[in-house]
Amino acid sequence: MAVKLVTIKEDILKDNKEMSALLKARFNKSKTLVVNLMSSPGAGKTSTILNTIEALGPAVKTAVIEGDITSTVDADKMDAKGIPVVQINTGGACHIDSAMVAEAVADFDTEGIDLVVVENVGNLVCPAEFEVGEDVRVMILSVPEGHDKPQKYPLMFIETQACILNKIDLLPHTDFDMEAFRKTVMSLNPKTTIFPVSMKTGEGLDAWAAWLKDKVDKKKNG
Amino acid sequence: MHELSLAQSVLEIALEYAEKNNAARVDRLVLSFGRMSCIQPDALETAFEAMARGTRAEGAVLSFEITPVVISCLTCQKEYDIDYQGILSCPSCGDPSVLLVGGTEDLKLIEMEVEQKE
Repeated sequence: MAVKLVTIKEDILKDNKEMSALLKARFNKSKTLVVNLMSSPGAGKTSTILNTIEALGPAVKTAVIEGDITSTVDADKMDAKGIPVVQINTGGACHIDSAMVAEAVADFDTEGIDLVVVENVGNLVCPAEFEVGEDVRVMILSVPEGHDKPQKYPLMFIETQACILNKIDLLPHTDFDMEAFRKTVMSLNPKTTIFPVSMKTGEGLDAWAAWLKDKVDKKKNG
Repeated sequence: MHELSLAQSVLEIALEYAEKNNAARVDRLVLSFGRMSCIQPDALETAFEAMARGTRAEGAVLSFEITPVVISCLTCQKEYDIDYQGILSCPSCGDPSVLLVGGTEDLKLIEMEVEQKE
């Protein structure tokens, strides 16, 4: 039997990238800014979303796509506040992909929606590799996780445009080294912006919300 | 465990090219990715082995070309392959003012060896 060498050079994630491009085209049409929000479980994604929506005020029409392995716990929290929300259950998968988002927004009218926040599955590793039609990728690290996380999970810090450092109210109770944290993050990704915040006290929330508002406005008017 | 979805895509692309090339069997697949990508070759192999059962790619061997972490030093104006140990800095002058220019490449299927039908 003849043995043949076949040259392929195909991107394994090409299907996801193509689907992501379709989603982008759709969200561009409605001038909706899409944020892919990623972090470990418990870093504060859901409370960040709730506080950010409140800080942005009613002028910014926001919808949320919740990604979890199972349950509607987070979607229920959004729904209780009257925020339009779609829940994706990944059924075990450690990340959201573009096909899941496409399915979630199939019956969702994004006309008139300024901002869609995709709350990814709690995981500091896998979601960094999968586009979900987003304009902006944002990650959250929380103080109790430790300042060494950028060294251990570099890809997430490299692939995001902003890094929210949450739970700074806990700084006095931990050994978190802010200087070392900043240095490592900036060495991995000099273009990122770090927002030290406490979603519990509201400290730092305004600077983060202003950064996001600017992106929403640019998309709307751009 | 995103290796499951990656393995599924690898298999789909391999079978598509096997069909196009009139292949009876796929013997070997060559994949590449950057060292900083969050990919576990062992997990990918295990997932692929299970998914390929009963297809033309059953038993195919996966081999990996892992591309190095490359930085560009703003001080030396040179690029270096580095052994990433948590902090990026220049291996020559020690300056932390470096830009990451390689090592995060996504997974690609480069080529494969197939046995063609008579």
